Amino acid sequence: MTADGEIGTRRSTLPEYVLRPTSGPYRSLNPATKLIIGIVEVVAAFVVGHWTGPLLVLLVIALVGWRAHVTRQLLLVGSLTLPVVGSILLINTFLLPGATDAILRVGPLAPTWSGLAFGLQVTLRLLAISLALALVYLTTPIDDLLSDLEARGLGRRLVFVVGAAVNTVPRTIERAAEILDAQRARGLDTEGRFWQRARGVLPLAAPVIFGALTEVEEQTMALEARAFSAPARRTVLRPLPDSAAQRLLRWALFLGAVAAVAGEMAGLLRLP
Amino acid sequence: MSIRLVIESVVFVYPDGTRALDGVDLEIGPGELVAIVGQNGSGKSTLVRHLNGLLRPTEGRVLIDGRDAAHFHVAQLAAQVGLAFQNPDRQIFAGRVRAEVAFGPRNLRLRGATLERAVDEALDAVGLTGAADANSYDLGYSRRKLLAIASVLAMRTPVVVLDEPTTGQDARGVARVRSIVERLSAEGRTVITISHDMRFVAETSRRVVVMRAGRIVLDGTPAEVFAQPNWPALASTYLEPTLPARVGARLELGSTPTEASLVAALAARAARAAQEG
Ligand SMILES: Nc1ncnc2c1ncn2[C@@H]1O[C@H](COP(=O)(O)OP(=O)(O)OP(=O)(O)O)[C@@H](O)[C@H]1O
Ligand SMILES: [Mg+2]
Repeated sequence: MTADGEIGTRRSTLPEYVLRPTSGPYRSLNPATKLIIGIVEVVAAFVVGHWTGPLLVLLVIALVGWRAHVTRQLLLVGSLTLPVVGSILLINTFLLPGATDAILRVGPLAPTWSGLAFGLQVTLRLLAISLALALVYLTTPIDDLLSDLEARGLGRRLVFVVGAAVNTVPRTIERAAEILDAQRARGLDTEGRFWQRARGVLPLAAPVIFGALTEVEEQTMALEARAFSAPARRTVLRPLPDSAAQRLLRWALFLGAVAAVAGEMAGLLRLP
Repeated sequence: MSIRLVIESVVFVYPDGTRALDGVDLEIGPGELVAIVGQNGSGKSTLVRHLNGLLRPTEGRVLIDGRDAAHFHVAQLAAQVGLAFQNPDRQIFAGRVRAEVAFGPRNLRLRGATLERAVDEALDAVGLTGAADANSYDLGYSRRKLLAIASVLAMRTPVVVLDEPTTGQDARGVARVRSIVERLSAEGRTVITISHDMRFVAETSRRVVVMRAGRIVLDGTPAEVFAQPNWPALASTYLEPTLPARVGARLELGSTPTEASLVAALAARAARAAQEG
């Protein structure tokens, strides 16, 4: 866009989306290895036992997160899940169908032990899953992950679509902030009472989404103009470091996850 | 109806540490017609965003009509200073053209016939009356830009700031912007434009403020700012004097920033020659 000097001159206000170091413990692993670890963690949190899987996964994430210096961010992500997690816990504790082992009775309310336990399990699983995915995200630049997957033969189109979607996030946040500013410049009150603010902000969703879509569309066209779809073999410009040990680890994790799923389904694993 | 704007030793640092304004002093009297120019990133947009409180000075003060802007919300200052953004797509949101233009004046509590009149006048001023019921996103870029301007005009603020109204406009669009600016100025309102189009600047403004790296380096009438001794200063912020200014300097006619002033200077010289000869 020619008229938009600001995109060119403005430095991103969200540098942490861009600047994720790729050296240091855990971070330096190949992106695919970290992705597989994340997926296996998600699977394990879901299928292994009722408590064992989620607790084990959370323990692993805590250790790895500490080594990779992302504990603070993980805590933030964890706290973002609190509203959902909290309501799941409450609903199950008070309303789990068929549960009779009441903890106490307060009028019509009867929280149950089995409800509480079930709610806690769901909570731990959700937490483990979100943190596993957050850990992949926090330690791996998305561009690296995508170019690695592309080098492994994943479809270029898919890679582009995922990449564009992810890259749109910080820019969409910036755009939303500027659109809000433009409306404030026209007298929209965002500093006044809460309901006024809420009423003002809602209609802005349209241009934010519209803008994000046009941007992706323009990117697509610009790529096509640079022979994105030409049917030629591509050179991998920047092979990411990998090792035999990591390959082995990935296979082991994959087979382990398959075994765990199979074992759980066959009722062989009887973990708590 | 107009008011005085005073910017006092303003320094502004963005959260990422960019020092976008580095000690700016500027006073703009009621009814002035000012252009702010300077290279990309010199701080023009940052400066004008201080006039309605979208940005607050890191150091220094901004006085709007004698009162410190720090004591007012953006929504309050918006009634004094209308600001049309550089990128219309970051401003337009309402769907229909008419609704878009009505958004500002409604926020300023205009209702009924007064509101309708404000909207109609603004649409007329930018030549979009025929598109009043169109969908904003269906307009081409240059008309979206005019729509963004109309939506600020409709607020009838004593001060109107247009951030790069000429960018992306063809000759007809630039002429349209020029007539808007002249009309506003004739009504006695203060008009501030930011532009990279030196011809537009020289022809429409009565005062030109040149910025470089967050500071004001030149400030004067077009004839003063585009005079030959200032060319190095202009070049230091990647600006070129207008063609008539360069021609006038070559012919030693003094400072002639516009075609009209060049023609007048040539005519005067011819008349003098005729008298002497
Ligand atoms: N949101 C922001 N965060 C950090 N830095 C910013 C931000 N917006 C602008 N800047 C920086 O502040 C400086 C001044 O920017 P500004 O947009 O005011 O310049 P400008 O004169 O309007 O430029 P242009 O002609 O390109 O519109 C630039 O260095 C720019 O990169
Ligand atoms: Mg600007």
